[in-house]
Amino acid sequence: MYRYDEFDHAFVEARVNQFSDQVARRLSGEISEDAFKPLRLMNGVYLQLHAYMLRVAIPYGTLNGRQMRKLAHIARTYDRGYGHFTTRQNIQYNWPALSDIPAILKELAEVEMHAIQTSGNCIRNVTADHFAGAAADEVADPRPYAEILRQWSSVHPEFSFLPRKFKIAVTGSERDRAAIQVHDIGLQLKKDEEGRLGFAVWIGGGQGRTPILAKKIRDFLPEADLLSYTTAIMRVYNLHGRRDNKYKARIKILVHETGVEQLSAEIEAEWAHLKDGELKLPDADIAAINTYFAPPALTPRAEGWGELAAWKKSDPGFAEWVGRNVAPHRHPDYAMVTISLKPIGGIPGDASADQMDAVARLAQEFAHDEIRVTHEQNLVLPHVALSDLEPLYRALLTDGLATANAGLITDIIACPGLDYCALANARSIPVAQEISNRFGDPKRQAEIGELKIKISGCINACGHHHVGHIGILGVEKKGAELYQISLGGSGDEYASIGQITGRGFEPGEITDAIETIVDTYLANRTDTDESFIECYRRIGADPFKAALYSSEAEAA
Amino acid sequence: MSVIWTQNGIVENDPWISGGEGADSPKLLPLAEALDHAQDNAPFGVVLQPADDVRALAPILERVAIVALTFPAFSDGRGFSQAMLLRERLGYKGELRAVGTVLLDQVPLMLRTGFDSFEVHHAPTIERLVERRLPGIDLHYQPSVDRTDTTTGYSWRRTAILNG
Repeated sequence: MYRYDEFDHAFVEARVNQFSDQVARRLSGEISEDAFKPLRLMNGVYLQLHAYMLRVAIPYGTLNGRQMRKLAHIARTYDRGYGHFTTRQNIQYNWPALSDIPAILKELAEVEMHAIQTSGNCIRNVTADHFAGAAADEVADPRPYAEILRQWSSVHPEFSFLPRKFKIAVTGSERDRAAIQVHDIGLQLKKDEEGRLGFAVWIGGGQGRTPILAKKIRDFLPEADLLSYTTAIMRVYNLHGRRDNKYKARIKILVHETGVEQLSAEIEAEWAHLKDGELKLPDADIAAINTYFAPPALTPRAEGWGELAAWKKSDPGFAEWVGRNVAPHRHPDYAMVTISLKPIGGIPGDASADQMDAVARLAQEFAHDEIRVTHEQNLVLPHVALSDLEPLYRALLTDGLATANAGLITDIIACPGLDYCALANARSIPVAQEISNRFGDPKRQAEIGELKIKISGCINACGHHHVGHIGILGVEKKGAELYQISLGGSGDEYASIGQITGRGFEPGEITDAIETIVDTYLANRTDTDESFIECYRRIGADPFKAALYSSEAEAA
Repeated sequence: MSVIWTQNGIVENDPWISGGEGADSPKLLPLAEALDHAQDNAPFGVVLQPADDVRALAPILERVAIVALTFPAFSDGRGFSQAMLLRERLGYKGELRAVGTVLLDQVPLMLRTGFDSFEVHHAPTIERLVERRLPGIDLHYQPSVDRTDTTTGYSWRRTAILNG
């Protein structure tokens, strides 16, 4: 993984000092709260319902054991003993004191971490496929390009006061595990006919109150042009994105209102001036960044094949966990392990300091000291020998980290909702917990198969409900919480926006409604191989609506 | 009270200060007027709003004494891109001033995008500028139009050249 050089260390130190000075000027009254807000947001500090929240960047979701231990230490020392992993591969702390934040940032800097641009109307932490560098289907590792973008976008003089936040995601294969079609810029690594590496470029995807899928504006952009082309997109957006209404300020609205052909022509015209300039990436620099992401030396561990088969036979719990949470690695003797942060009835994405320490230790013992955070709020150990799966599983079990539900109905994404967030209209966490408890039986989950439920506590859609196979949106109606359901969303390479079923459900009804939807799927699927989303796409929304609202139809 | 600040300090009796409506003082003209005025002999400056296309100035830029870009709010960053286009695309070499809401934390970024003078109203900002205690970072992860050193490793990195 990437290691800071002297320049990076000095930069982050200077940024900590800069922010400490800003905090001091705010506390002395030199800066008004209005002027301070964008400054603190640009360094990840939010004001929530009960306290400040600090969001720490985990660039493209990659970290090592030492960094994870530091995150645990911060949770223990400055917060209430836990942290929350987010859908953008970051971690947030819900209870830090503003006066402690400079000290937290100094601690983070010791392990090459920061909170730069995890919020605010600037280019946010760049995300990537959590299986990068390990997946069998990868064209190239997306992280070196995400790292180049991270560096280039840090305290960018031209793009620090954009119309709105700006999110870039990079995926390294056809199979999109980074949800690039719901990002402001989505980049898909690919090769052209001559075998040169580059990107398909998508712009204008986003969720929020106006969910829109991204449009492809370039089928192939050579890798050397990554920064110049991104600059062209950013400049056109910075100059022309709407600033009169924050709900219409994302680039998706500019794409929609200008038309993708015209906007793309403007971007190309801008790029014509920039492409041969100083932003062109030399091959040597791309190669140098790539060397940081060289895969670990994986020695052959073929004994794991036989061991794995024997262990699975003797322990059904282990077999179930392997079936759900372990995915094939490009090296046949190794596997990629998902550590679920979705215990049955738990809070999606939360991890205690002790759990973080345990993951750090296990990563160092079994996984070449690499950890990933997924946009589905789980953790991944990307390089584990098959032969180490059983001891790893035993250890995870002791720390409550062996829930075998990756991709199943209880692997729920949920935003913090009204329990924490100042923007929320409704609670998300208790809804996730109740659904998780209702469907917690392993047999029942396995019977239902792959099903993604995503819950947002307001229309800003941080819980990605628009791309949930089942999406749940909390709204406020006459002072009470109400939950709208949408069906058929998806955030992968077959991305789609879910459609609302009809009237919303009260907190006491929502889990029953989810059960009705699940039962309708089970009754209609052709066989167990037809997943929920495939079934929905075949039969449409009507059978589900009929089941959800049948009693009303009869009453009318 | 507002002052004009440059890297050399406070500018006394600056002729272009907004609202300085002396009959003889030269004028900062809005874009449309500036385009009309271009045939006159008297020196003139231009003040642009964030929605103005700076490229419209191309035909008359040689005759313009100063360009002022307006920041209607701290959070409105269009002026940064306008400045880049003026310096980089149009090759404008004259004075480039930030007017409107100009606060301390924008100034280092403005200097990097080609501004060289600042009309400032905010007293704590003026104080820090006079003391030359700018809150910028001297290490940059991207090229821009300011004077920087390029010998810092990767092609996109720069370090500030600190004057005096």
